[in-house]
Amino acid sequence: MTLQAYLTLAAMLFCVGLFGVITRRNTIGILLGIELMLNAVNINLVAFARFLGDVSGMVFTVFTICITVAEVALGLALVILIFRIRRTAVADHLDLLKG
Amino acid sequence: MAVSGFLALWAWLAPGLAFLILSLVVPLRRSGKPAAWLSIVVSLAALVAAVVAAWHARVPDVARRMLWEWIPVEDGVLTSVGVLVTAEATLMLILVALVSFLVQVYSLGYLADEPPASLGRYYTYQSLFTFSMMGLVLAPNFVQLFICWELVGLCSYLLIGYWYQRPEAARAAVKAFWITKAGDVFFLIGIVMLWSRTGTFDFAELFELVQGGGEALAGLGLVTFFIYLGAAGKSAQFPFHVWLPDAMEGPTPVSALIHAATMVTAGVYLLFRTAFLFEQTPDVLAAVGWIGAFTALLAATLACVQSDIKRVLAYSTVSQLGYMMAAIGAGFAGAGFLHLLTHGVFKALLFLAAGAVIHAVGTNDIHAMGGLARRMPQTFIVFLVGTLSLAGIPFFAGFFSKEEILSAAWAGGLTVPFGMLVLAAFLTAFYMFRVVFIAFLGAPAVASAGHGGHGEAHAHDAPAIMALPLWILAALAMGIGIWFSIAHPEAEFVPPGWLTPLAVGVAVAGIVFAWLVYGLRAISGDRLFERFWWIGEAAVERFWLDDLFALVYRRVILGASRSIGWVDRYIVDGILNVLSAWTLTAGDRLRRIQTGQAQDYVYGVALGVLLLMVWMRWPK
Amino acid sequence: MSIEPIAFWALAVVLLASSLAVVLTRNLFHSVLYLALSLTATAGVFLSLDAEFLAAVQLLLYAGGVVTIAVFAIVVTERLVGDRITQTSRQILTGFILSGALLVALLAVFRRGPLTVPRPVVTGDLTRAIGQSLLTTYVLPFELLGVLFLAALVGALYFARPDD
Repeated sequence: MTLQAYLTLAAMLFCVGLFGVITRRNTIGILLGIELMLNAVNINLVAFARFLGDVSGMVFTVFTICITVAEVALGLALVILIFRIRRTAVADHLDLLKG
Repeated sequence: MAVSGFLALWAWLAPGLAFLILSLVVPLRRSGKPAAWLSIVVSLAALVAAVVAAWHARVPDVARRMLWEWIPVEDGVLTSVGVLVTAEATLMLILVALVSFLVQVYSLGYLADEPPASLGRYYTYQSLFTFSMMGLVLAPNFVQLFICWELVGLCSYLLIGYWYQRPEAARAAVKAFWITKAGDVFFLIGIVMLWSRTGTFDFAELFELVQGGGEALAGLGLVTFFIYLGAAGKSAQFPFHVWLPDAMEGPTPVSALIHAATMVTAGVYLLFRTAFLFEQTPDVLAAVGWIGAFTALLAATLACVQSDIKRVLAYSTVSQLGYMMAAIGAGFAGAGFLHLLTHGVFKALLFLAAGAVIHAVGTNDIHAMGGLARRMPQTFIVFLVGTLSLAGIPFFAGFFSKEEILSAAWAGGLTVPFGMLVLAAFLTAFYMFRVVFIAFLGAPAVASAGHGGHGEAHAHDAPAIMALPLWILAALAMGIGIWFSIAHPEAEFVPPGWLTPLAVGVAVAGIVFAWLVYGLRAISGDRLFERFWWIGEAAVERFWLDDLFALVYRRVILGASRSIGWVDRYIVDGILNVLSAWTLTAGDRLRRIQTGQAQDYVYGVALGVLLLMVWMRWPK
Repeated sequence: MSIEPIAFWALAVVLLASSLAVVLTRNLFHSVLYLALSLTATAGVFLSLDAEFLAAVQLLLYAGGVVTIAVFAIVVTERLVGDRITQTSRQILTGFILSGALLVALLAVFRRGPLTVPRPVVTGDLTRAIGQSLLTTYVLPFELLGVLFLAALVGALYFARPDD
């Protein structure tokens, strides 16, 4: 398939992920949306690496996957901590920074 | 000739140095007498320098110029400071230095009862005044002249209001300042207009420009008229004369120095110095002449109804200034300048003598005096010398210069002003001898409780420190009078043969008339007043001019300030307050964007990215 | 190869469907399961791009690790609350509009440009190439990644400490 097909696929995945981030109430749901977005980016990177003959894109993908794993781990740890303190995982209730 | 420049410079700067020392070294100033002596010694040194400088500069029509660049601009210098020494300038310098010195010596006696701190303040102002006046006399360009002009006005304000605790004195000082300021505004506008036309402030350059003739001189009339307005304010021409009588609230030596001999003559001197400009605008000169003659007559009329001796002399000064301006207006500035010099001498003499009287008797009111000739013979003699000079009797100082002015007016073709001047001469003799007859001769009035002083019954001659300047001035007045009678300076014109007898006759007639009314009481003064009631009443009210000025000041100026203040408070400040209120409200509303919920911020980021992409890909 | 387009389309459909399910399902646990499916489909996409190593890594770390963590988190938080958290979403319409607009913008970007080039021939072993470049050109980020993991480990330990 053409590069354009892969990019289009990645773009759609990205927007779905964005939709999830914006609309989900639960914090964990937001994190899942972020996962989708990162996934889309990975597809993009690999597609470009494959079609342009440069392997750097795949190396980048390795990096992003690793970093994502670390981030998710810590993010979920934070969610659990907040849950312990505030007794809620609903993002709307976490508005202490309200101006 | 070069020496004269340096001497003039030294004469000018020495009082400035004294002023600096007195103003900065506070303990010296507060000590009173030492400050006075410093000022006196410096002014004596300045006098000596001025005399020697005049001797060296006595060649006419040769000028010595010393300049220092002051304000640099792109190509050259905007203006300089320095001295421009001519024969006439050094004569004026002598007058200023001499009267200043004599007045300062006299003040030691007159103000002997003042607290030392106030005395120190007085002499500081005196030094500043001498410095400023000399700077004005020697100024080589309009800028320095204007700066010294303003400084002199400031000193006048400070010295009129010397006894500032008295409300009348404070008001008089402010009045003098305001009215001269009105003239000064026009003066400044005139200077700037002249500069914009010719590109220079310098007298010598302007003189050459005028000699060469040219395009730059078109429309000079407005410029010279504005310059004249400045001079009219300072030299108390109608209608700006109203400040001078009120300025008598200051100490009498101040009146002698500033309001008789030097500051008020600055306007005349200005016109004399810039006569080459005025010659190009004969219409303005004609106006100068007419206004001068009218002022002379008006002031003489007003002097006839005053009972305060200083006010008589003040109106007399206004009248004589009108004479000088009339001569300039006729086109013969030299005659006006000559009268300036002689008038400076005998008017200062008259003021100082009046001061001696006031100091002894304790009141200014001539009707509270009487028979002082017996109790204060010396003062009487010097006062008489001054009076005869003022009246224009031969062998006294004022005779020749007054006659010069009358012939100048006649030769210049101003016949109606000439008539006014002749009538004013009659009135001058009349009102001066009115004072002589009421205050010095005749029966003593009932002793009244004067303010301070020894009371009329204990009137005595002035102490030596006050008498010495009086005698010097009297001798000078007589000396000049005799000298001119024998070897008078050449005139640019020949007076008609009937002029001298007319002048003398008019003066004598005035004296005789005064004797008839106030000496013999053959003609009743009251009946005379009733005969001329329509002038007399108006004269008592000073022709309502002071009231007019006060009205303008209160209604127009203060009213304008109040309305501007309203605009400032409600509109200018109002706009700012509204803007700040709007800012606060906007801030309040905008802070609702910060909901505290992370997803809304993601929303914002996504929206931003979208907009960015749209903007980048927008078809060009 | 005619199977390739079919494979691609199948994978694409699965991927998109499961992603939509992730964001639209009301049950959070189901959401995570759908995410696992989506991640697996992504691994398939990697395979179709001849990136075998990455497909393996994706399956190991993502579908294995991340999903496991997410399940744990849900279980922990669910237990604290006591029952299944029902998922509802907020501002669906505006979110949809925004995402849709962004998608349209992105697709507009893709329309221009030479994106229809055929894929070049694979020369050599991609995995070896990745490994080599990872340890030569990109050795510094590689090492820093180790530091990152260390930091994440320490952080997670810190967060997970009991309340003293």
